[in-house]
Amino acid sequence: MNIDDPAVINILRRSMIARIATLSRTGRPSINPLYFVYWDNHLWLGTAEWTLAARNVKADSRVSILFEVEQGHADHQILRISGRASVRTDQEVQRSNNLQTLRKYILTPGGILNYVTHIRLLQAMHSYHAQSAQKGLACVIEVIPEQVEFLNSGLQG
Amino acid sequence: MKRITRNVELVYNRDLLKRVPHACLSFACSHGPQAQPVVLLWEDNRYLMGIPEHAGYQPDADQEVVLLVDDGVYFFDLRAIYIRGRTKPITTPGGTPADHMWCEVAPLKTVSWDYGTLREVKDEH
Repeated sequence: MNIDDPAVINILRRSMIARIATLSRTGRPSINPLYFVYWDNHLWLGTAEWTLAARNVKADSRVSILFEVEQGHADHQILRISGRASVRTDQEVQRSNNLQTLRKYILTPGGILNYVTHIRLLQAMHSYHAQSAQKGLACVIEVIPEQVEFLNSGLQG
Repeated sequence: MKRITRNVELVYNRDLLKRVPHACLSFACSHGPQAQPVVLLWEDNRYLMGIPEHAGYQPDADQEVVLLVDDGVYFFDLRAIYIRGRTKPITTPGGTPADHMWCEVAPLKTVSWDYGTLREVKDEH
């Protein structure tokens, strides 16, 4: 199965969280939930250079990622994409990723409602992001898919 | 010195273990890292995990793994429990899918977070 299969693109367009498994330089596993965008044939996961996900990708480019549509679909399917990843910090990628992330997660009814109902936390969120920026650059984990597969549903619950 | 944290005590996220929204596992196998959805049961503070028998790869006994339970889509709703531990094979718990391989994750380190609790704390480091 290829990433340009309509069923795969359908899941990638509707899924909101990517759960990315990585290995450290010494082979220790990790898995982290990240925001992602699938746009113009790019699969980009947003994070920061100091995070375990980004540091692991720099040490070992192999990744395995789970995607699923979060709710409201009887035909619950989980998609796993395995491949190679790299950490991108260039401005052009950052700008495109930020714009797509803004459209997907913030400038939507659910995103706006989430911010409005937590308005008291906006200052803390800005401080949290500033604190992250002091630890390292924001980055994008770019994934080149090598294997794409659907897994059986019905696991949760 | 103060810092902003998202981290919370595990007790605040226990509902994620009682009504598991998403549970998945990471472990190393011959081709690299493997991300695998799992069935999770939390019984008597033990993390019991089932992987479909037909899954291509299974973690070995006493292998280091990370178990992730998470929930939420929008920023302030994001919550998770991240458990690094080692696997211990167990017999299939009663009332669970029979076509799964079961093991317990014995925790080495647990981190729990909730972005809806972002707050300033005293930095002790």
